[in-house]
Amino acid sequence: MRVKRVSALLSGMLALALGVSSIGAQSQDPVLIGIGVAQTSNVALLGQEQVIGAQIAEAYFNERGGINGRPIRLVFQDTAGDEAGAINAFQQLIAAGVVGIVGPTLSQQAFAADPLANEAGVPVIAPSNTARGIPQIGEFIARVSAPVAVVAPNAVRAALNINPDIQNVAVFYAQNDAFATSETGTFQETVRELGLNLIEPVQTFQTTDTDFSSQIATALASNPQLVIVSGLAADGGNLVKQLREFGYTGLIVGGNGLNTANIFPVCQALCDGIIIAQAYSYALDTEVNNTFREIYKEAQGKEPPQFSGQAFAAVQSFVEALIAIDNEVGLDSLSLPELRAALNAQLRSMTFDTPLGPISYTEEGEIVQEQFYVAQIQMEEDGLNGSFVFIPIGDEAEEAEPQATPSS
Amino acid sequence: MEGFITTYGFLMVTMTLQAMLALSLYLPLMAGQLSLASPGFYALGGFVAAVMSKSVFGFTNQQVFPLPLVFVEMAVAAAICAVVAILIGVPALRLRGIYLALATIAFVEVVRVVALNLEITGQAIGIFGVPQPFSRSFDYMALTLPMLLLAIFFVYRLERSRVGRAFSALREDELAAAAMGINPTRYKVLAFVMGAVLAGIVGVVNAHLLNTWNTRQGTFDVAILVLAYVIIGGSRTFLGPVAGGLLLTALPEVLRAAAGIQGLPAPVAQFLQDGRLIIFGVLIAVGTLFFPQGLITPRMFRRWRAAHPQPAAARRKEAQA
Repeated sequence: MRVKRVSALLSGMLALALGVSSIGAQSQDPVLIGIGVAQTSNVALLGQEQVIGAQIAEAYFNERGGINGRPIRLVFQDTAGDEAGAINAFQQLIAAGVVGIVGPTLSQQAFAADPLANEAGVPVIAPSNTARGIPQIGEFIARVSAPVAVVAPNAVRAALNINPDIQNVAVFYAQNDAFATSETGTFQETVRELGLNLIEPVQTFQTTDTDFSSQIATALASNPQLVIVSGLAADGGNLVKQLREFGYTGLIVGGNGLNTANIFPVCQALCDGIIIAQAYSYALDTEVNNTFREIYKEAQGKEPPQFSGQAFAAVQSFVEALIAIDNEVGLDSLSLPELRAALNAQLRSMTFDTPLGPISYTEEGEIVQEQFYVAQIQMEEDGLNGSFVFIPIGDEAEEAEPQATPSS
Repeated sequence: MEGFITTYGFLMVTMTLQAMLALSLYLPLMAGQLSLASPGFYALGGFVAAVMSKSVFGFTNQQVFPLPLVFVEMAVAAAICAVVAILIGVPALRLRGIYLALATIAFVEVVRVVALNLEITGQAIGIFGVPQPFSRSFDYMALTLPMLLLAIFFVYRLERSRVGRAFSALREDELAAAAMGINPTRYKVLAFVMGAVLAGIVGVVNAHLLNTWNTRQGTFDVAILVLAYVIIGGSRTFLGPVAGGLLLTALPEVLRAAAGIQGLPAPVAQFLQDGRLIIFGVLIAVGTLFFPQGLITPRMFRRWRAAHPQPAAARRKEAQA
């Protein structure tokens, strides 16, 4: 009836590499892995990065023989940015016979679509859902994106590492954005835990705002040495710009919404110095990450972002778990529902050496990630181009060197 | 067939719900009021259902939610929407045309901002894990299809009742209608309240269907989309909005399915998949250009009736002769 279709639109050489590899191995049917992320709508900026990460993983693993000689094939269905779109896309993927699904892009979409996959017994790995309660949706739901509560505090620690004299902290957040609201909760807890003075009231804005002068004036009246901003690229960038224009010279910590090169055109030279916690570092020196980084850079001409790295890690988890199953019992001996169940169990019982570093999943489906990073934005003098430079987190983090093995 | 229902069950249910949402916007339009408040009441209804099922009745999404409780939620949502609609309708309906539309957009925004700031509505993340009365999406059809038919029947009868005639008199000429003894405020508020209640009830069902409810539902975007249902479908007869709601909800998914047809050249399939929202937009624009009155107009009915005279009407004519 419906056809399982490979996404053919690939940038440059990747298209060739993928095409050749999937034509070259027709002796056995490929194993289908579903990718349900936002390829259209206002969330597509993130979704596109996930598509690229997943496609690199597809080419990478097929080149290395797929699943013991059997190739993998990604099936793409666009979720767009809404809940109904995510449900429709997931239904299509499940009907297409995928063994597992990577998606959706937004946490709110996950709350709508994941219960369907769970009901159908299809394992899901969320590539970017960071809200509380995602793995708890069901036994088939896991995530490769560490929750904000784990990632965000590192940025505050790194700021303290740069300036140990910080006392007053002003917090700003976009109250109409789900991510920013849950992230700011974490930031505020961290500030209190570290014994710093959180300036009340916490300042709020909307992602659609362009003028932040009243919030800034109120916050600066309490003389902060650190400002923490949770928002999206456009509003967050503007807020940073206006903070500097109002004469604020202290440190600025940005949330994950600012974790993109898209803020450079917004605050330009004034972006300089924003500190942002990272779940992924392109600088991680492992074989898999170096290869991933190389392929990404060759095709896109820039360093891979966190969203692509996480999507790669999600596809990788499926592939390596499938290989383990194939080695143990053989993929052909299992029916599709059995294979899906076995895959779900296998995911939670092994460790994956991904571009994010070594990761594993708890029984519940939460990611166990060893390493987190903090980067600081460094703008070039022209104010047009910039880069994320990785900086040390602080005392505790420096001791934990990369070779740690997962506990729990 | 089984596979088709599993894959498209959700879509079919959504189609019926969107058709009802279109009717909720059509109701005030019957009295000549361009109100975009429907999504606001729709959002309100969804929050009522999500809060009641989780916090008041205390169900989790692991349990089957009893259907009678859905009807209780509908009644509560309908009552709340009616009260709110009367409170804002009386002052707002003094405005006309574009000004009323603006005021109702403001209402949609107010609902959104209030929900963003309340703990009980889950702020920006919303409420998740809303319990399900049915195990499959398609089973919602048993609830939504009768609801849609009932709503259609209600509006069909309404158009032919005294109230419905008062609505259309107001739509054609408010001054003349007032001179004939029709109380404009009363009937305008009545039409507005009926639309609000229907939208609220749709929200109740949709919150269960989607598993989750948040402030991204029932926004200004939805208002525009629902307006498109009515304009493309036809704003002069109740079947117009229904047809518009059904068609326009299905269209993006039909295009998605078309992208999967075997043997299509890869670029065409890719365009159908990635560009389906572009095609959707173009079709709406083309639709309004070539069908300015909508796809379904009263003229079509008149023509159909002229070609197929009803026995009763024919007999009446004979008697008159």
